[in-house]
Amino acid sequence: MDPIKLTIDGKEVATTKGKNLIEVAAEIGIDIPHYCYHPKLSIAGNCRMCLVEIERMPKLQIACNTPVGEGMSVLTQSPKVLAIRKAVMEFLLVNHPVDCPICDQAGECWLQDYYMQHDLQGSRFQERKEHDRKREVFGPNVVFDGERCIKCTRCVRFFQEITRTNELAVVNRGDHSTIALFPDTVLDNPLSGNVVDICPVGALTDRDFRFKVRVWYLQKTPSICPGCSTGCNVSVETYQNRIARFKPRINEAVNSHWLCDEGRYCFHDLTGGERLNTPMIRQEGGLVPTTWDKALGAVLNGLRGAMPLAGILSGRNTNEEAFLFAKLMKRLSPDCALEVFYQERELSEVQKILMSPDRSPNFRGAREMGVSSNGGFEPLMRKLCESHFSGAYVVGEDLLGMDNDKDWIRQALQKLSFLVVQDIRMTETAQLAHVVLPSTHFGEKEGTYTNRNGRVQKLNVATIAPEGAMQDHEIFIRLLDAAGERVSYSTPAEIFDALANEVPAYRGLTYTAIGEQGIQSGDGQDSHDR
Amino acid sequence: MEKILLRNIDVPDSHTLAVYSSRGGYRPWEEVVKNITPERLIEEVKASGLRGRGGAGFPTGMKWSFVPKDSPKPKYMVCNADESEPGTFKDRLLIEKDPHAIIEGTLMAAYAIQSHTAFIYIRGELVFGANILERAVDEATQAGYIGKNILGSGYDVDVIVHRGAGAYICGEETALLSSLEGGRGWPKVKPPFPATHGLFGCPTVVNNVETLAALPWIIEHGAAAYAAIGTEKSKGTKLFSVSGHISKPGVYELEMGYPFMKFLQEDCGGVSNGRKLKGVIPGGGSMPVLRPDELEKVNLDYESVQAAGSLLGSGGVIVMDDATCMVRAAWNLARFFAHESCGQCSPCREGCHWMEKIFHRIEQGEGRKGDLELILNVSGNIMGNTICPFGDAAAMPAAAFIKKYREEFEEHIAQKRCTVRME
Amino acid sequence: MALEFSPETYKKFEETVARYPRKEAALLPVLCLAQKEFGHLGQEAIEYVAQLMGQSPARVCGVVSFYTMLNTKPIGWHHIQICRTLPCALRGAEKLTSFISKTLGIEVGQTTADGRFTLSEVECLASCGTAPMMQINDDYYENLTDDKVTEILASLK
Repeated sequence: MDPIKLTIDGKEVATTKGKNLIEVAAEIGIDIPHYCYHPKLSIAGNCRMCLVEIERMPKLQIACNTPVGEGMSVLTQSPKVLAIRKAVMEFLLVNHPVDCPICDQAGECWLQDYYMQHDLQGSRFQERKEHDRKREVFGPNVVFDGERCIKCTRCVRFFQEITRTNELAVVNRGDHSTIALFPDTVLDNPLSGNVVDICPVGALTDRDFRFKVRVWYLQKTPSICPGCSTGCNVSVETYQNRIARFKPRINEAVNSHWLCDEGRYCFHDLTGGERLNTPMIRQEGGLVPTTWDKALGAVLNGLRGAMPLAGILSGRNTNEEAFLFAKLMKRLSPDCALEVFYQERELSEVQKILMSPDRSPNFRGAREMGVSSNGGFEPLMRKLCESHFSGAYVVGEDLLGMDNDKDWIRQALQKLSFLVVQDIRMTETAQLAHVVLPSTHFGEKEGTYTNRNGRVQKLNVATIAPEGAMQDHEIFIRLLDAAGERVSYSTPAEIFDALANEVPAYRGLTYTAIGEQGIQSGDGQDSHDR
Repeated sequence: MEKILLRNIDVPDSHTLAVYSSRGGYRPWEEVVKNITPERLIEEVKASGLRGRGGAGFPTGMKWSFVPKDSPKPKYMVCNADESEPGTFKDRLLIEKDPHAIIEGTLMAAYAIQSHTAFIYIRGELVFGANILERAVDEATQAGYIGKNILGSGYDVDVIVHRGAGAYICGEETALLSSLEGGRGWPKVKPPFPATHGLFGCPTVVNNVETLAALPWIIEHGAAAYAAIGTEKSKGTKLFSVSGHISKPGVYELEMGYPFMKFLQEDCGGVSNGRKLKGVIPGGGSMPVLRPDELEKVNLDYESVQAAGSLLGSGGVIVMDDATCMVRAAWNLARFFAHESCGQCSPCREGCHWMEKIFHRIEQGEGRKGDLELILNVSGNIMGNTICPFGDAAAMPAAAFIKKYREEFEEHIAQKRCTVRME
Repeated sequence: MALEFSPETYKKFEETVARYPRKEAALLPVLCLAQKEFGHLGQEAIEYVAQLMGQSPARVCGVVSFYTMLNTKPIGWHHIQICRTLPCALRGAEKLTSFISKTLGIEVGQTTADGRFTLSEVECLASCGTAPMMQINDDYYENLTDDKVTEILASLK
């Protein structure tokens, strides 16, 4: 690692050989404007927006492809540089359509942003603009607008270098150059949505998000994707208390800059539908609304009288919730069967780039918290179907939503003498329950998930739960209390610090240390999993 | 003047090995491959002062010396036969009439950098020339000048004739390499440079046809003999392609430093049809035009033409008489560059077409006040800010025509029509 | 796939690929081979070549669309390509183009109804000293006059 010293805008910088100017400048807080450069893709050098002045070099140089040199003196704000940025902006806008009022990118468009920061001049172009395809559906998730495209080729390079699926190419020459799919093909690979993120302009936009809401109205909450146990870092972006979209957050230890399509859109299924807003209890004729006191009392009585017990927790419940659930169930029945929902499926090569084969983001955390007794979820389900249990407490999963063995499971559930279901909707499973408790989904929770590789990451509350629903951890604390165990903690932060004392792999970890990038459990050291 | 490059072309069947051999052909190659080390060869070519004849004029020996000798990667030698610069047709003449000189030069260049695979990238339109080259390569292979253990020297080299498919930009060396790699003719960002990361990321040298064709003579007669011709910094001879409003168009070989006016008036017979000279482009369509009053002291060498505000380039001399509408001429070239821009980087992709649109509007009689300043400004914004020199090639002539014929442009705008008539 | 190389052309394809140090470098010559065989490089032809070369059809499309000599649409039996760049323009290329256009009854970019001729304008063909000139398929026709052109067109069946 050869050390190099150079100057950028008069500031002396110590760095290492092999880095390029744009990286090093960013490290000291100097953001050189750019379009085609992306830290995870090969260098294209075609936008020319990052041209900077280097003393003793007659021509301006692109910062993205200039390796740092000993004694280099770089100017990013000289008159020449400021002038060329205006010139490049003018060139990029020559054929750009005045689409801002109808373009989803408005508010997060790099042409708009750089115009405001570096240009603020009118265009002198007074000729006929070139036209291209607009609103071309590339695939289930991506729409293309050729006129807005600035040919930075980030999308082409993404499919060449990251997914290696090569669906997109630049076709034609000169100012007829455009991005295209081969005729009769569809852009539907499992990571296709990422090009919407990396497109700096509104050329590639998200079909799901199209025209939903202006981005400046969005509230952005850092959280973790609940899709699978990879635990991709996301920004949950909401408007009027509803999730409008997911965007990936950068975390080099987990998902780098990317998010898979399944995860990106999973919030629809996980949060939609009519919400439960009152506890319900089974009486003659069916399930009727009741009070929390009555419901929780019925739960304890019912479970105590229905041994042996099984407890099934959703993979989307947090460590804090899992910790309390295990404590509660073991108090009721020390040898009860406890498992976290876990099913695997085959993944394609492209899916394997990001995805894990399960749909249980916190299966590892839950198991480490004690929701693990019977050697696995499938064996427990088999035992359930063999009528091994008399009572069951099912949290956050619709067991009748599983495709296989639906009839077996239904019969088994109906045979139970007591069934509690805690969920956000009246699922098919809930319809068979004796008591139904309304709870929250991942977007309404604060807490932690531990991903497949042992990384502990934080969820934050992005939307407020409907009135009448109660947080899962609160339900468990109340039940523990009613069962005779009063705990000293009540918030997720307090619960985490408590569990850190009891669970060996989490010893030494504190809630505050988790931050927005997470921390590694186990030996407590941060490792780069991906 | 002793002809170097055109020494064979007037001999019947000069393109055959039989004739080429009978005139001493391939004996310099034999000498090189058997008795001269690559290092010595590079030194000899450096000493000759030979500079690249494609347009850039870079010292050939120095270019070869940038290839790292101990690189474990295979090295590639490429002969750039993609001649597409407007006004240039000298390489075509050599290809059709003296292909063996090109092949012999390519072999020497390959040997100098210890490459075992040489390509001749020829533009696809030159079908006749490509066929001749392929036949010549076959002849040379059969005679043992190409292939394995050449003439018992232990050196191997293969020569592959590769045809382009219609793109001026593929004459730019990194675009040529992109094309040769089986892709779009997109120039590559530098660094890295072709000498270390060229074809397939391996050390590569690209030389022009005319540059390579000079090598056999240089080896046969010695670097000093070559360096004795020409001027202090522009050594040897150069081929000039003369076209346009000239009495005797064609390819001429001159010693570097030959007076430009003398060349036009005497050797080329002066402006055709008894008309007067209005302007001449000295080095191919990318180079700034020169007015007659600017030609007095200009000699045909790199330094003299540069001092006059233009560049020697490919030596494509385009002559325009006083019936030429300079607005239309400028538009014609702007249209050429707009058509040939590869479209990769923003100043060239958008700027070339922008300039073409403005020129066209002016030419059609719809010019506006401020148009000329705008073209000059756009041209200035393109220059030096693109991935490759194509941007400069498009920008320079646009600016030069306006600067040199400003009054005519202004008249054309004011009168909304051409005030001269073009042939 | 309906479109395929004939056995002889397939052999040429194999020989071509074998000449190059890397297979991908043979793409342009293979595309020219395909164009000769199939007449033009339509969607099927591009898919076929992409499959032969082990590349994505989108990428091959990108290459085909870059080069002017590769045609994605069918053209006439004789492709008349008139040079329009400055040196030829100075020596009457425009008048020549008008003449040919009138003679054949088609505009630049069009093909005659009987499919015999397609008329195109192209850029510099490295024949500036013998301007005005044109290329028809593989052959250059130089130092053209109206009479010469009439003769040439008549001779082409």
